[in-house]
Amino acid sequence: MPASSIDTFLACSIMITLVLAAMVNTSNNLRPSMNEILHTSDAERFQQLALYLLLNKGTPVNWGSLRDVVPSNLGLADSSSSLPYQLNIDKVTRLNSQNIYSLSYSQLWQSFGVSDVSFKVDVKTLFNLSTTLVSTTSEVNETTYQFDVYAEKFGAPVLARLSSYVVVQDYVNNLVSSTSADGHTSISASVPNSKNGTAILLTFAKAESNPQIEAFNVYPFSHNSSEPLPNRTFTRQSPLNHVLNVTFTYPSVEVLRTFVLTYKCNFSLIEKSRNAQTAEYDIPRLLDSSPMMLVITGFNQSSTFAEWVSYPQVPVEIGAEFEELDTGAKAVSFSHIVGINSALYEIVTTWGGPTQDA
Amino acid sequence: MLDNKAQIRTIEAFLAISVMFSALALTLQMPSTPDFEKQRQLKKLGTQILMQLDFNGTLGKLIEDANWTSLRANLDLFLPSGILYNLTVYDENLQRVNTQEVCNSNQQGVAAVVVQYLCVIQSADTHFYTIQLRLAWLE
Repeated sequence: MPASSIDTFLACSIMITLVLAAMVNTSNNLRPSMNEILHTSDAERFQQLALYLLLNKGTPVNWGSLRDVVPSNLGLADSSSSLPYQLNIDKVTRLNSQNIYSLSYSQLWQSFGVSDVSFKVDVKTLFNLSTTLVSTTSEVNETTYQFDVYAEKFGAPVLARLSSYVVVQDYVNNLVSSTSADGHTSISASVPNSKNGTAILLTFAKAESNPQIEAFNVYPFSHNSSEPLPNRTFTRQSPLNHVLNVTFTYPSVEVLRTFVLTYKCNFSLIEKSRNAQTAEYDIPRLLDSSPMMLVITGFNQSSTFAEWVSYPQVPVEIGAEFEELDTGAKAVSFSHIVGINSALYEIVTTWGGPTQDA
Repeated sequence: MLDNKAQIRTIEAFLAISVMFSALALTLQMPSTPDFEKQRQLKKLGTQILMQLDFNGTLGKLIEDANWTSLRANLDLFLPSGILYNLTVYDENLQRVNTQEVCNSNQQGVAAVVVQYLCVIQSADTHFYTIQLRLAWLE
């Protein structure tokens, strides 16, 4: 074989190899751009849907406060606010499945009216509070409980002003403190021994940097009694339209006191109506930006209980489980800061559906 | 004569190979396409956070009081985890106002988006501040 033929053969092989390698390499480099073009329209569409959910009032505009109404068009914005990203307290409360007037995900999905898109809504406070009982000291007339309260976000301490209430039967005591630089504070609560049953330490925290940023936590503990039973054992509380509906689990339940507690104040609630299974109480409209905690104390035979619900009823988590979606679908999350009754919360909406190229 | 030609062709082939491999090596080192979708999301989030802080005058008050620690604490609470930020406030003459850094990390070498926001404070005399918020995903 002549040397020139070997040369040509070698050169051609090298050229073909290089051209193929270049094609593969170019394709790899361009793939993110191609994906970007294909998925941008999906993400942009989901973003617009998220904004629509948060900025639209829905139909009827006051659907949140109408307990039996399923909106024909879903939107969470507050109809009485001229500012964007202000959500209605009752619309958010009706997303919570623990409320008897809540909407199911199926109803929400149908009301939203976009059949090829699934969604999930999470509403939560902007930072977390946790409470631990550190020690108990019993004396003749009273027992003193020492608690450690920790305010944090993503493990970083949060400087906050705290307003705590210890509630047992008809006894309420307010305690004020602040977290130190490490996010911790110690709260000492004395409870008279003349009371007994499930007691709760309810703590509201306002961030030092912005009083609109608030978190809360409820810690139940036993006071001269057996271990507290889980919340909602004796009553199911459903606040809506500034009325607290209480459904009694047992006909023998007797209500002792019903309170509304906020960062700044506490009141007894006025009973509106009552029968063997349910009772209704008026919730006052307060100017305080704080979320409200509604607490019921009472008896059921030999048990003394203290149960609670927050208004707005957060945290909320409702919607599709995106972990279970098939690989052909794409899920995108959007985080927004929203106001509910002047307090600020984080809402994370997750959107998914078949991609346009799927 | 033939030997010389063969030598030249061999050198040519080596030159061609080295040129082609250099080209390939260069393309391999091309920076990957930035994720525009994530950056758009970040920009919208930044704008929404500044708007929310400004609704009740908190943003303006923090700037007027030069309370940079509180401004940083607000951003720490508002932003989801994994986001780096750096905020700079400029006055009407585009002079930097914040004397302290308002940031949670050094953003050098990270692809960041910039959100510009105009904050107006109505008091006895109106003040304008341009807020530049740089946001980036922690990689």
